[in-house]
Amino acid sequence: MSVIEISNLTKTYGKARGINNISFTVEEGEIFGFIGPNGAGKSTTIRTLLGLIYPTGGSAKIFGKDCIKYGSEIKKEIGYLPSEVFYYENMKVLDLLKYSASFYKKDCSKRMHELADILDLDLSKKIDDLSLGNRKKVGIIQGLLHEPKLIILDEPTSGLDPLMQQKFFDLLTEENKKGATILFSSHILSEVQKLCDRVAIIKEGEIVTLEKISTLKESTYKKFKIETAVSLDKEYFQIKGVNDLEEDRGTATFLFKGNVNSIMKKIAAIDIVNIWIDEPDLEEIFMHYYEKED
Amino acid sequence: MNLFFRELKASRKSLILWCIGILLMVAGGMSKFGGISSSGQSMNELMGAMPKALQAIMGTGSLDISTAGGYYGVLFLYLMVMAAIHASMLGSTIVSKEELEKTAEFLLVKPISRNKVITWKLIAALVNVLLFNIVTFVSSAAAVEYYNDGKNLNGDIAILLAGMFILQLIFLFLGSAIASATRKPKSAASLSTAVLMGTFLLSIMIDMSTSIDFLKYLTPFKYFEAKQVMFGGGLEAVFLILSAAFILIFLFATYKFYKDKDMAV
Amino acid sequence: MNIFIYEWKSYRKSTLIWSLSLAGLTILLFSMFPAIAKDAEEFKRVLQGFPEPVRKAIGLEIDSIATILGFYSYVFLYVSLCGSIQAMNLGSSLLTKEIREKTADFLLTKPVTRKQVLTSKLLAAVVSLILTNIIFVTAANMMASIVKTESYSISAFILISVSLFLLQLIFLAIGVLVSVIVPRIKSVLSVSLGTVFGFFMVGIFGSAAGDEAMRYITPFKYFDPAYITNNSAYEPAFFTLGAGIILASISVVYYVYSKRDISI
Repeated sequence: MSVIEISNLTKTYGKARGINNISFTVEEGEIFGFIGPNGAGKSTTIRTLLGLIYPTGGSAKIFGKDCIKYGSEIKKEIGYLPSEVFYYENMKVLDLLKYSASFYKKDCSKRMHELADILDLDLSKKIDDLSLGNRKKVGIIQGLLHEPKLIILDEPTSGLDPLMQQKFFDLLTEENKKGATILFSSHILSEVQKLCDRVAIIKEGEIVTLEKISTLKESTYKKFKIETAVSLDKEYFQIKGVNDLEEDRGTATFLFKGNVNSIMKKIAAIDIVNIWIDEPDLEEIFMHYYEKED
Repeated sequence: MNLFFRELKASRKSLILWCIGILLMVAGGMSKFGGISSSGQSMNELMGAMPKALQAIMGTGSLDISTAGGYYGVLFLYLMVMAAIHASMLGSTIVSKEELEKTAEFLLVKPISRNKVITWKLIAALVNVLLFNIVTFVSSAAAVEYYNDGKNLNGDIAILLAGMFILQLIFLFLGSAIASATRKPKSAASLSTAVLMGTFLLSIMIDMSTSIDFLKYLTPFKYFEAKQVMFGGGLEAVFLILSAAFILIFLFATYKFYKDKDMAV
Repeated sequence: MNIFIYEWKSYRKSTLIWSLSLAGLTILLFSMFPAIAKDAEEFKRVLQGFPEPVRKAIGLEIDSIATILGFYSYVFLYVSLCGSIQAMNLGSSLLTKEIREKTADFLLTKPVTRKQVLTSKLLAAVVSLILTNIIFVTAANMMASIVKTESYSISAFILISVSLFLLQLIFLAIGVLVSVIVPRIKSVLSVSLGTVFGFFMVGIFGSAAGDEAMRYITPFKYFDPAYITNNSAYEPAFFTLGAGIILASISVVYYVYSKRDISI
């Protein structure tokens, strides 16, 4: 079953671009990464899903129900952590969390204290006095305390130290194992790579690609680095599928995409000293999608 | 200097709105003059004999509202109220907004001392208040001349508005002093407004009853009343001295508290 | 319900401050009544020396100021000025504070509809106003019975007092309306002070000039104490107008707010 179904979703702000004709689905139980640089439309998409803003075209369904029409109903099962957390002033952490819990028709106090323990957060403090990272923790707890079936995270890790980030990821993995679906938006690729099953890359308001993380890595470039005894002709590796070729005193580096045999034959025909073939990390794939049209 | 221009720009829109308000107020208020001017001589005689409370209720005090000048004197009270609201809001927000909009961290890490920050802000506020005053003067002078059969009362109005300017300064610096002193930037504007409302209501109570006349030193709205300034010998020295004292105290407090302030983040 | 409770809690302090200030103002004003009533009696004697038409023109006001209701009618104007500022403040910060404090994201991603949010918030604001009015009316009643010189119509007194609440409802509605039309109000206080004082001054000049049409423009003139004193009732036309303004504003607010994008 699809937890999120987005079809042809469009949101324009006057003439300014928001998102254009976005479609994708998130299946039950998966951790779905949503990446793109600042201003690409990640938040716009998420805010539309949550009914904070209204689409100018297309529609989105969550749990099979239209996210605008059945907004309040589906939100019972959604936990949301915004990128910027500003909560009511003059309120203690505990009061805010209780207020948050009061929206869901179940007892959340046990889970609330569990989460506070895991994240090491003092519930008796005033929110105004908290640091950015600690405020973020409040955000995480209020998003997870009702054990939602769908967790939507908008750039959630900023402000958390690496240790907390790890704890937070563990939490998410745990929730995921219990059956929660997670939509995770970020511009930091390593965290998406670490956590997500599938990923959608968004650029200038449009989805550029949507792949499994594993296929994304497989089906794209491999990084070659070849050391040869003698300097090669500069154009030697310039065959179909090779990109970013660089030659420097007997060391050639390039990216290759296509039938591996064709490049292997080329390599076999010369005398090499050493060879490295690497899977590119997401970062490089990402850069690839973004640099292409510049 | 850059800070000065930034502040001027930021307050431009609200100043324009206020000036439109003043123009409407002066034009609208004076246009009613024709309706009242017919009441005649015996009315004034009667007014003189009337107890203070009744004068206040009739809305005129001891001003002769059958003349354009006297009528303007009535209107002037409300112009003063507007000017005071404008000045106190401006004074408190120009100081507190850095904390409210979380830009304090931006501004105060720049190579500029807090004293300079507050100086430029206050100068920008002064320019605002001055423009407000000039707009009031020009519109008042024109409107009064129009309804006074072409004779202008520019001299009287100029003195009145000089009084209003002092009032503006008092409330401007009161606002900035409160905003500097308070630890809650959000409540700065409300606090200044509360003081303003309190002094305004006090001035009305003084109008109604002779027995609390001595309280007039506490409310700046009684310092530069039209009947005194226009028809009773100009600005009074005691009030001028009091005003100067208030302005200096508030000004000093603004600098002092702002310098020692822990910025709310 | 939880939103209502939370909102109410956040209004507690300011409600208390406003209520006590209004009550304090009322007590102060009433305590001036005995002296003023005496002045008025003396002046009536002076008035004998003036020609008949003048006496007629002004006598009515003198007679009325010497009575509790007449005096109350006059000072009520200033009480209603303060009350209106309170209501307008409440109204215009109702929705803008969510945007300014960026808590709209928090509230609106909870399983509640925007209509529910709005209803709870409005109810909390109305409760705050009701409380203020209870305190104010109690103070006014108490003071009136202490300083009265002769008996007065209790029903007219209550009707005048309650008109504060009606006036506040109108300004609450106008406040919310302004806040949905101009969602990014920077300074709620200047907007509400500007609006309320604007209407207030229109009211003063309207009555000074005896301009009947002006009465329709400013809510401060909808509930005329003189009419209430004489008839022990509100003027039907203005009562309807007030109710109409409230209904129309609130409908627009519900419509706009449920359609609006919550920007970051």
